[in-house]
This record gives sequence, C-alpha cells and structure tokens, in this order.
Amino acid sequence: MNHKELIAAMAAKMNAPKSLVEDLLEKTVSTCNELLVEGKTIGFQSFGNFEVRKKEERLSVHPATQIRTLVPPKLVVNFKQSNILKDKLKELPHNE
Amino acid sequence: MSKEKLSSQEIIDIVALKASVSKRASEEFLKVMISTIEEALMSGDSVKIKNFGTFKLHWNEPRKSVNVQTGEDIILAGYYKVNFTPDNNLRDLINEPFGHLEAVQIGRDTPVQIEPIQKETETMDPLRTLNEQASEIKDILAEIMNLQSNHQTAELQNDIQEVVVENINETSEEIPHQVHEEKIQIPDYEFQVEEVEIKEEPKSEVFSPKSVVEEQKEEHVEIPVIVIEETVEELNTEETFVPTFVPRKNKKKTGWLVLIICIIVLLGAGTSIFYLYPPAKRMIISFGNNVSNSTTDLTKSVSQLFVAKPKKLDVPVTVVIPKDTSAVDTIEEEDIPPVDSLQLLFDSPRNYTEIIATETTHSGSRLTNLAKKYYGLKDFWVYIYEANREKVSDPNKIPSGTIIYIPKLDSRLIDKENQRCIDKAKELHDLYVKKIQKEE
Repeated sequence: MNHKELIAAMAAKMNAPKSLVEDLLEKTVSTCNELLVEGKTIGFQSFGNFEVRKKEERLSVHPATQIRTLVPPKLVVNFKQSNILKDKLKELPHNE
Repeated sequence: MSKEKLSSQEIIDIVALKASVSKRASEEFLKVMISTIEEALMSGDSVKIKNFGTFKLHWNEPRKSVNVQTGEDIILAGYYKVNFTPDNNLRDLINEPFGHLEAVQIGRDTPVQIEPIQKETETMDPLRTLNEQASEIKDILAEIMNLQSNHQTAELQNDIQEVVVENINETSEEIPHQVHEEKIQIPDYEFQVEEVEIKEEPKSEVFSPKSVVEEQKEEHVEIPVIVIEETVEELNTEETFVPTFVPRKNKKKTGWLVLIICIIVLLGAGTSIFYLYPPAKRMIISFGNNVSNSTTDLTKSVSQLFVAKPKKLDVPVTVVIPKDTSAVDTIEEEDIPPVDSLQLLFDSPRNYTEIIATETTHSGSRLTNLAKKYYGLKDFWVYIYEANREKVSDPNKIPSGTIIYIPKLDSRLIDKENQRCIDKAKELHDLYVKKIQKEE
C-alpha cells in the first residue's frame, strides 16, 4: 500500500475528502519529523514508539578485499511496536 | 539528546493547531490513520507514507533458548514484528548532526601495511651495522692517534682499513708479501751472526721502538716468519749456501734455539701489547684467526715437504700459539668493560642541530610517545627533552601547542637492541627527573 492508496483508504473510512486527509497526513508527518529531528520520542498508544538512536562509529572490514573502513557515528529513527500491537500480531496466523 | 516523550495526544494537539481543524477531527484522523495502517499490515501488506517511511511486517522465526533457572531447552514461538524503514528525506534530516562525516578507508588489514616497513628495516640493518663498525673503527683510530706520532698512525689507518675490508683471501694474499720481507731479513741475521743473543737483539729492535702498528703486523706475520725460517733451515740442511760457515749439526741446533727464542719473544711482546692497548686488541684477534687458518695450511704444506723431526715438533706449536692468544684475549675482552667508542659517544656533549621533524603538542601528547614514534623506544625521550630544553621546562607538563623539535640522533645512541644505550637513556632520565623534583 503506497501513499495514495493509504489516503484513499482513510478517506473512505472517515467519509472525508481525500484532499483533507492528504493535508492532515502531510501535517502529521511533518510534525513527527520535526519532533524527531529535535530528538524527541513520539509514542502512539496502541501502535508504537518512534525514537532517535545514536549508532556509534565502528570499524568494518570488507571480507573479500580486507579493506578496513571507519564508519562514522550516525543517528537513526527506530520504531518499536507497542505491546498492544504485538498481541494483535500474535493472533495473526503464520502462513508461508 | 533529550529523551522527552510525546504522547499521541500532544501530536493531535499540534496537528490540530497546524491544520486549523478541531482537535476532535484531528484525533479521529490519527485513530483512523493508525487503524488503517494496522489493517494493511495485518493483511500482509506494507504501508508507505511519503516523506516518513515504510512499515512492513517481518516474521521472526521460532528459536531455541534455554530456561536460565532450570536449564531446560525451550522454544520461543515465532512472531511478527513491524519494521519501520525511514524515508531517505527523514533519514538525512535526523542524521544532520553527523551528516558531514564520511566513511574513511583505512586501507587493508594492518599486517599488510606493516610488512613492507619491516622489510625496509631489515635491509637497512646490515648497512647500518657496517656504518657503525666503520665509525667504531674510526674512534679506535682516534684513540690510537692520541698515543702515537702522526706518521705511524697514518700507516696504521691504511693497514687497519685494508684489513677490515679485506676477506681472508685478501689477507692471505698479503702474507706472501710480508713473507718476502722477512725472508730478506732472516738470512741477514744468520749471515751476520750465529750467536743466539745477538740474533735476538735485532728482533727486539724491530718490536720495541715501533709501536702498535708494527706489533699488529707482527702478530699475524709471526707464524709466516717461522715457516720461512724453516725453509731457510731446510736450505741449510740441503747445504746450498751455508756449509762454508758452520758444520751442519751445529747450525741446526743454534737455528732451532733461535727459532724457539724468537717465538717466545714475539709472544711476549704480543701479549704485553694486548694488555697495554685493549682497543687495538680486537682488531688483532680477528687478524689472528684469519691468519691462523691460512698459516696452518702453509705449515702443513711445509711439513709435508720436509721430513726433519724437529720441524714437525715445531709445526704444532706454531699452530697452537695464535689460538691460545686469541682465547686469552676474548676472555679479557669480556672482563674489561669496553672503554670504546660508545662510551666516548655517551660522554661527548650532544648537539642537536639536525632536526628530523617537528611536532605540535596537543592535550595528551607526551615526549615518550614521540620518542617511541621516532626512535622506536620510549626511553629515548630524554634526547628530545634535551633538544627542547628552552621551551619545555617540565617534561611532564608541556603546554598544549608547543612545537617540539625531534632531533636527528646518532643511530648508535638510540640502538634499542643495545642494553647500554637503554641504560644510558635511563641514567639521563633519572638525572632529569631528580632535577625537576629539586626545582619543585
């Protein structure tokens, strides 16, 4: 499901025009991004937490060429699902 | 990074404010959004939100584990997990503080880097030792110069330098020349005088006035002399030129007496010189060994040629003598602390005119580290300190930003293989540390 499909699905649920949903979604996303850039954690109850984590610098060795690279530290967004979502997912049958 | 956590309610408020909609509408929107995403995920679909990221379900396989308390094997059930991959835009935004950093390639694994350096040092080593030997010899020469007059030392220099460079072959080439000289001399003695005492005198004249140079020569010429005298003797026995003077048997007896006395005198002179001039000694030992090899061959050939019994007796004697002296000398060498070039080097004042490199200090940099970097051993930091006396008052407290000159040092002074160099550096270390403590 891509962005447009998501908006369509949400608009159908809310009985609201797609443009409004799109606008709201964009505002939500931008808000979340700003907050995350500030380094804040966002918690959606029943869904999960968005958090910024720092990955320390490390030395990686290319297994084939043996070239060693110093990978600098970086900040990444991490999502951790909430327990409510986890329980819901547990009921999901594994079919593969 | 503040760990401030914002709840969904706060997000709702902010969004409501931004979009200028009611909070209720905003709340409803968020709930719908989450439920829609959940549903999509439940149906096994991934959800992509523009500028934010992608949600995806990931199946974690069941895995074995052990109950920590009972030690029983248990199987953790497999489960689904929501993976979130941030969008490129968001990723870059978040990583802005470290965005300027790039991965640095350090190169291949360290051993590959070190190997060529080691090879270089290996190839350098023989060269360096040669240079060291040369400079040591020069120092020895300088010492001898002090003891002797100039023209003699000039000869010495030539001789010693030649002998050091030459191989055994070359020294063996030299011997015949000297042999010829002796040949000329020895018949003279015999023709001039037949008495033992008078024969000794010219010999001793040869030794005593002329100093180390002559003695060194004689040390290795010694054996050839004997050989020649034997040949002379044999000439006598063959009655080629001596019969007119003396009856054969008498000549033989006196000849052998003279021979033995000559050997004794030579030995006595040689050993006494060894004791007197220890530095010169070493050179002689090396000569003695070389020459003894070559001379044993000579004596053997001589002994094969002539069957006379007394000669046979002499031959082993001549072979043994150089070995004895060399053995004695090596023992002496171990006993006596070397008063040689290294000590002179230690005692001479060091001047730091040549500079290899300059280092700007920063917090945490130490002279010992610099010494380790440039000289290979941290004990040699004292020399860096000596070179930077004006700027560095206390080697333990170097102000940050000081420019430190790394002086070029004599390679013998910072020979980390040589315990004496390390001892010397430690001695200096103690000296400076005490001085600093006194000042405090």
